Amino acid sequence: MSQVDNRQNTALSMRTPRARVKGLGAAGHGAEHFWMQRVTGAANALLMLAFVVIIAKMAGRTYPEAVALVAHPLVAIILILAVVSVALHMRLGMQVVIEDYVHSHGLKYAALIANTFYAVAVAAACLYAIIRVSLGGLA
Amino acid sequence: MAQFNLPKNSQLTEGKSWPAPDGAKNVQVFRIYRWNPDDGKNPRIDTYRVDRDDCGPMVLDALLWIKNKVDPTLVFRRSCREGICGSCAMNIEGQNALACTMGIDECRTPDNALPFLTRKDKDGAVRIYPLPHMPVLKDLVPDLTNFYAQHASIEPWLQTETPSPEKEWKQTPEDRARLDGLYECILCACCTTSCPSYWWNGDKFLGPAALLQAYRWLIDSRDENTGERLDALHDPFRLYRCHTIMNCANTCPKSLNPAKAIAEIKKMMIERTV
Repeated sequence: MSQVDNRQNTALSMRTPRARVKGLGAAGHGAEHFWMQRVTGAANALLMLAFVVIIAKMAGRTYPEAVALVAHPLVAIILILAVVSVALHMRLGMQVVIEDYVHSHGLKYAALIANTFYAVAVAAACLYAIIRVSLGGLA
Repeated sequence: MAQFNLPKNSQLTEGKSWPAPDGAKNVQVFRIYRWNPDDGKNPRIDTYRVDRDDCGPMVLDALLWIKNKVDPTLVFRRSCREGICGSCAMNIEGQNALACTMGIDECRTPDNALPFLTRKDKDGAVRIYPLPHMPVLKDLVPDLTNFYAQHASIEPWLQTETPSPEKEWKQTPEDRARLDGLYECILCACCTTSCPSYWWNGDKFLGPAALLQAYRWLIDSRDENTGERLDALHDPFRLYRCHTIMNCANTCPKSLNPAKAIAEIKKMMIERTV
């Protein structure tokens, strides 16, 4: 992977510094991203507490008992909410990391798309598992 | 990817070592970054030995002592020598500071202060570099063109639509007090050049100094363009590259808090969005 020089562009240019700073203008978004990251962060804090309690309750159970626990509507709904909130938070946070450090155009867009695909795939797999266990009568 | 290592032609070499003056008893060693754009060589670290008994107490005193008595080719900016012009901002013992307000005795880094760095030599020397991650013009002089253009881009002046009153625009003492901790900025660039987000994305992220000034005009009770000012900042890079690292607040030689000002701008953004 070739490195892209991210130092300030010191190449000779006839553009004024002001023109370079103004660039393509303000994108007009960012506040929603910032807000959603905080909202999902707060949700994660609560849902992870519940998640830890659920995992602790699993300890020592037989397989049918464990399936029965996940099949409980309240437990299943908490797990579904946790998966959605964590996946969303993960996608938003990773997007910021990519934007910070990946400056090569092609690689940046590829990484941003891969980030979204990964979050959706992980969430879909988790949700499928929870629903399958809750409704599938695996016990 | 962001570049974390220095390009080959920027890697440091060992430079000239100057002897202590004859008869000097109280010697302080300075290791100073030197680079000359005209000689085609890599930057180097020159070693100077300053006679503390013949020199003032501040780092700027030592730099002037070196320039006057040892090496007149050493280049740095300085003007007011009392912390109000911001010219002599540089990286002293790993911390951005004004050379004129940083005492030589203050800036000796204790051995345990930077546990994540490996020090080759713990010789009590004071290391001086230009402000980090800016293009260097010569020695300790960075090119601040981009920094100044970013400050200009936030339009740091009063903007009104109401016809100007016959005398001054008035504000209550309380509204005036809200500008305290903001108007004192001297644009020395210590904060902006200490910010990792600015290092990686300085072309688009406005940086703490410009954003502190943006907030100074956002909360000025006399200004009538608050919404337009927020529009200009509403951008994932211009404002939201700030990740609350707080280097800006740690390093500010005027003890201002750009991180708090940026957080307040983010709160204003939320207030008008949510």
